[in-house]
Amino acid sequence: MTEGKTVLVVGGGMSGLTTAVEVAEAGYKVIIAEKTPYLGGRVAQLNKYFPKLCPPNCGLEINFKRIKNNADVSFYTLAEVEKISGQEGDFDVTLKINPRYVNDKCVGCNACAEACPVEMPNEFNFGLNKTKAAYIPHNQAFPFKYAIDGKHCKGASCAKCVEACKYDAIDLNMKPETININVGAIALATGWDLYDVTKLDNLGGGKIKNVITNMQMERLASPNGSTAGKILRPSDDKEAKNIAFVQCAGSRDENHLPYCSFICCMASLKQATYLREQYPDSKAQIFYIDIRTPGRYEQFYWKVKDDPNVTLTKGKVAKITEDPSSGDVIVEAEDILAGKKIKARFDMVVLAAGMVPSTKGSKISADISYTEDGFVKPSSLKKGIYAVGTLKSPVDVAKSVQDATGVAIKSIQSARR
Amino acid sequence: MAEQLIKPDLNFINDVISSGGESLKKCFQCATCSVVCNVTPDDKPFPRKEMMQAQWGLKDKLFANPDIWLCHQCSDCTAYCPRGAKPGEVLGAIRKMSLQEFSVPGFMAKMVNQPKFLLVLLAVPALLYILIIVSQGFFGDVSIPTEDGKIVYGKFLFSLYYVDTVFTATALFAVFSLFLGITKYWKAMSATVPNANKGTFGKAVVDTILEILGHNRSRKCEVTKGRATAHMLVFYSFIGLFITTVLAFAKVIPEYFEHFGTHLGIDQSLLNGLTVIYKIIGNISAAALVLGILLMITNRFKNKGKAGLGGYYDWLFILLVAGVGVSGLLAQFLRMANTVIAYPTYVVHLCLVFFLFAYAPFSKMAHMAYRATAMVFAKQSGRE
Repeated sequence: MTEGKTVLVVGGGMSGLTTAVEVAEAGYKVIIAEKTPYLGGRVAQLNKYFPKLCPPNCGLEINFKRIKNNADVSFYTLAEVEKISGQEGDFDVTLKINPRYVNDKCVGCNACAEACPVEMPNEFNFGLNKTKAAYIPHNQAFPFKYAIDGKHCKGASCAKCVEACKYDAIDLNMKPETININVGAIALATGWDLYDVTKLDNLGGGKIKNVITNMQMERLASPNGSTAGKILRPSDDKEAKNIAFVQCAGSRDENHLPYCSFICCMASLKQATYLREQYPDSKAQIFYIDIRTPGRYEQFYWKVKDDPNVTLTKGKVAKITEDPSSGDVIVEAEDILAGKKIKARFDMVVLAAGMVPSTKGSKISADISYTEDGFVKPSSLKKGIYAVGTLKSPVDVAKSVQDATGVAIKSIQSARR
Repeated sequence: MAEQLIKPDLNFINDVISSGGESLKKCFQCATCSVVCNVTPDDKPFPRKEMMQAQWGLKDKLFANPDIWLCHQCSDCTAYCPRGAKPGEVLGAIRKMSLQEFSVPGFMAKMVNQPKFLLVLLAVPALLYILIIVSQGFFGDVSIPTEDGKIVYGKFLFSLYYVDTVFTATALFAVFSLFLGITKYWKAMSATVPNANKGTFGKAVVDTILEILGHNRSRKCEVTKGRATAHMLVFYSFIGLFITTVLAFAKVIPEYFEHFGTHLGIDQSLLNGLTVIYKIIGNISAAALVLGILLMITNRFKNKGKAGLGGYYDWLFILLVAGVGVSGLLAQFLRMANTVIAYPTYVVHLCLVFFLFAYAPFSKMAHMAYRATAMVFAKQSGRE
């Protein structure tokens, strides 16, 4: 029944996957081009979704299954868009497929990683630990295939992984490939990056060991994270039982991100529950300008607020220092409601950093202009090219999914022209 | 807490906005400013609460508050403000407005802080000296007397009458006016702190003086690092120039009596020694003054992105001090060069000095009295 052309979805996170399955299940062909070696994007890095606090795989697994069972969806990992030309209904797109150095014979046995002598920062865990240059991004990765990092691998001169692999799955001579495809519509779903907290000089971002980002907190609390889900602080692996959450770390700040990132309040409230569940005697203090939990999320806020071990303090943290002897972190804020400047000591601090649309960091070869806040202006995109979810504004998973279904129908309309 | 009816003064809000606090309304009360401020007390810290009070038009609360002067406008708050609300500049505007509230006579503060009155204010000393010069007949056929062909300012404007009398009167006026102003400020502050933990006044004064001498507060500024040094140069040069003036006065007193035919019997060599001492102090101070004010100007331009450049109120004062320093040094060098333009330069110098002191209670110069008063009050009331 398929008339009309294929739809290209750039980005295999929640927005991209949803767009792709919606388009495919309506009977159109879809190609997903994902930059990393796995699908699932930022959602795969979460410990739990808010507000239901279920693990991210419950959403991702369903989508992966829908992809696997649908012959109309194909996907490339390690793929980047090099060139887009043409117009709505007839785009020529050049994709560059970077080498994985691992072929489909891989069974995920981990022998290559054991043999690999090279360590590199674990990007999936935001550098909280290290991984080998022959690695699987995480234990639920889809596709469940190892990859070898071209930048860190020593290449044929080492080749210990090749020896170790019993399945002949490693080919260190793989080269980048270029693929040309013709599509009718393009959905840009490249998602977001976390704001670079090293720019927050007064908050010790990137300088103080026990000051971490909210995304690192997800990885710390996640069973497949760097500490197998134990909330341990980075400097000494001590149980972090007294944690400060610093809201608006770079957000609503014209020196950094002028906008509210929408998700960080809910994320910190959610992360406070990770801590409270793990250690019964733990304490969380959330420093905020305004707690923003719109709509039904308000109920989640009430629930967390009712916990006597969770303190909500109105007043933005503007100074964070380290106590070098203990590794503790000293947080300074004005408790506005009490009218007092406070200095408090914590085991660890979580910076609730905001979202930056990913096209700011890695450019896409499409004409894009941005709003004052730095998000993609949908009207600036060529007809037949659509931006999805967090490229257009900071939104949560639910809103991204809603937006993706909308983009799916727009893409189908363009593909039929 | 007792119910309190807030009476916002809408005109006051507009006045703050038009006096250099145009960013006031951008503040969303996040309290970044109070945290990055290194000079605020921890209890009821500024400047967040002042930003709120200003937005609400609570004029009396702001003016009767030692905190507006405890602020040294380091601009750390302005640099880190996430909204560009520039608390440092807003508090600067409020300080300027509080001078209009407290100084006596109040209309003078309005004149001094408005560019349109600049010429009028300058005309006062200018006309005064022109009058003196005319009365001496120097514009007529009387030639300027010299001493062995050398330029001697004392022969031009007989120092005993025309310089010393004018300046003694000016200084007395300024001190008296400042005293009235800070008394009003003190009373206003006292009224708002009824149950203050009263310490001894004397100790508060001594502690304040020590703190000012060491510039302990402005040294804590981070964004505008270096301003303490510049301010110290200017501050100590003023002290040096004050000592110079006192010594010079001490030297001319015998001459006064001599003029009226009374010999005090003071050894001339003692007076000559005094001259050497105050000339050394005076020259060092003048050099420090010019250097310090140049540093201030450079700092302002260097930090203008993060701290703002300042307005008329700031620049009138800065340029005046610079003008006094430069014209003073010039007057001395031209005199030594024995050229006739030394005389007009000297007159310009005198006019600028007059301007600086006569209008001190109303210009930024008054900051020294008001800030010191606020510091004493804060210390005595246990504010810090």
